[in-house]
Amino acid sequence: MSKQKKIGFVLFLVLAFGVLLILNSHEVSGAAKQTVTVAKVKKAPGGLDDPAWQKAKAVNVPFEGKEKFAGKKTSVTTKAVYTEQEIYFLFAWKDATKSVTKGAWKYDGQKWSNQPGNEDRISLLFEINRINNFATKGCAVTCHIPEGAPNAKDGKFGTTSEAEKGDLWHWKAARSDPAGFADDTWITKISEKKGGRKSDAGKGGDKKNMTADKSMPMYTLAPGKKLAKNDILLVSHAVEITDYSVFTPGDTITFRMPNTPEGSRADIKAVSSYANGSWTVMLYRKLDTGNDDDVAFNPRKKYNFAMALFDDSGDEDSYDSEVITLQFSR
Amino acid sequence: MNNKTGNRSETLLERLALDVIVTRLQAFTVPADALTWNRFFGALLLVLVVLIFLSGAFMAFYYSPSPGSAYDSVDYALFTLPFGDVIKGIHHYGWNLFLIVMGLHLLRGFIFGAYKPPRQFVWVSGIFIMLLVPAFVITGDLLPWDQKGYWSTQVRISIIESVPFVGDFAIRLLQGGPLTGIVALTRFYVLHILFLPCLLIFLLVVHFNFIGHRGLSGALSGEITPRPAVSFFPVMVNRWLILFLCVTLVLGLISWHWPAPLGDPADPTDSTYVPKPEWWVLFLNQLVTIFKGPWSVIGSVIIPGGLAGLLIALPFIDSSPERHPARRKKLMLVAAMIAIALVVLSIMGYLEHFRASHS
Repeated sequence: MSKQKKIGFVLFLVLAFGVLLILNSHEVSGAAKQTVTVAKVKKAPGGLDDPAWQKAKAVNVPFEGKEKFAGKKTSVTTKAVYTEQEIYFLFAWKDATKSVTKGAWKYDGQKWSNQPGNEDRISLLFEINRINNFATKGCAVTCHIPEGAPNAKDGKFGTTSEAEKGDLWHWKAARSDPAGFADDTWITKISEKKGGRKSDAGKGGDKKNMTADKSMPMYTLAPGKKLAKNDILLVSHAVEITDYSVFTPGDTITFRMPNTPEGSRADIKAVSSYANGSWTVMLYRKLDTGNDDDVAFNPRKKYNFAMALFDDSGDEDSYDSEVITLQFSR
Repeated sequence: MNNKTGNRSETLLERLALDVIVTRLQAFTVPADALTWNRFFGALLLVLVVLIFLSGAFMAFYYSPSPGSAYDSVDYALFTLPFGDVIKGIHHYGWNLFLIVMGLHLLRGFIFGAYKPPRQFVWVSGIFIMLLVPAFVITGDLLPWDQKGYWSTQVRISIIESVPFVGDFAIRLLQGGPLTGIVALTRFYVLHILFLPCLLIFLLVVHFNFIGHRGLSGALSGEITPRPAVSFFPVMVNRWLILFLCVTLVLGLISWHWPAPLGDPADPTDSTYVPKPEWWVLFLNQLVTIFKGPWSVIGSVIIPGGLAGLLIALPFIDSSPERHPARRKKLMLVAAMIAIALVVLSIMGYLEHFRASHS
């Protein structure tokens, strides 16, 4: 080999090395945001303990408390996997109290009253269409905005324009989980009368179990039916109460009865467990539902999302995460 | 032959009136080693320029140069449009490869003394092309309107602003005002797709004109021996087309497998974002980090300007006919020292900006 050819060969090697360097280096550029990597699996996880979850890297996402939880911190261990068709999330967090009552009715022998207590929840917000500055500020630009902001009104919230749309996944221990779903909703521009939160097309949500004068429950478990998880009465299993004399002091009945969702509102399925002071929740959905009110996941693309945790609390009292990057391994 | 008239039928080339041009091209000869296995960097650079121009033109069909829609238009082209990721990837990886190959082309020319008489202006025109390249990157980085592009532009603007006498004027000219907004994006876009490509084409024409007149660099021994020649068309054109196809295929596959990165949309209110410099400006970035405050002009202007001046003046500083690197030890030593300094600065910059990401 002539000297010129040798030098040419060495230079070619340098060139190849340079290409490799570039391919590897672009992964490390950018700001420091937490990233949840969605691992690809051949077989979908069948449950919370499925071996498929071992392929996913667990990310401990920190949460900071707001309003009555101000100053408190917690965290949620997050994993995600996907198949050709579906995406699966697994969340685990410590919660000393299992809260699934959501104002359940209790009979004291004389009258019915709603028990104190709310429910545990976790929610996720993705962008369907880009929400201005969501990628950097997360829920601070959609949910936790100061009163007087263009997209805030009377405690309600939304986005600032119709072009900005978010996909809000809302797992509720009392109102959606017993039916095996997370409530599939979306947010858009706040209107004069209403907030920007909307339910996906189809049926779903829950029904209040109460008489017209709101003094007692109206429905009980239908004969031959069973209560769902956490002793929750589903709308589909309820029958109107005809004889209130059968109830004895201490009896309880579900106040917020989950509907079995249909249509686009039934996209997100849920499996959960509460044990040893911890919730473990699996949510899964088609990568692309084909519905306008859902984010369509393209595994070639990165997404931003943020989460909120509600510990036996209403919408205003929550723990919130920073915005997180969701990327798919290939 | 026409059976009835006995006249010869016109060929397609003749009908298109291209026969004369083809005959001229066939008669035009170039050295056979103008594009071979061990001399291909120049041809590869031309391949990459063509690919970058073509991919850029396709991307321009879908690009919207406005801060409110630029990011979404790039996102759409990258992830929704069929083969959009391949086109964007070829543009992205093509540029990175272009920078590497250009560096190697320069290195080869330096080691083999390709700047020696009579090829001084081949070298000088090449250096001017090299100095134009950062302008493409600076203007192109802002176009996707993502965090990296926006905040990298802010860093570059602050560096340009620090240049004495002309800094403020240059920024006003580039941005149209103190803020990076719609006027800046429009100007960067026009510069990127119109003015800079025209300037590059002009410099390429000048470069090739000098090569045509002054020839390729010869053997290191300095012996003048007749070089075998081949016709420009079809031999050299076919070699170049094969190279073009190979590079397109490789870049296309890389782009398909690793889509070009697109960061988060730009948020001008997010001052927490710290842009990380590209690999090829790590040494420059480190110079700016070392020379701070009143000394910043040393890192941002004097040293980079001095290096560029040295490169332009090289053929006139080292004008002896000797081309063998072993007999140009002093020059090689100085060049090696500069190269080591640049590598060390780059490593320092890499450690400073990227080590935290890995830990």
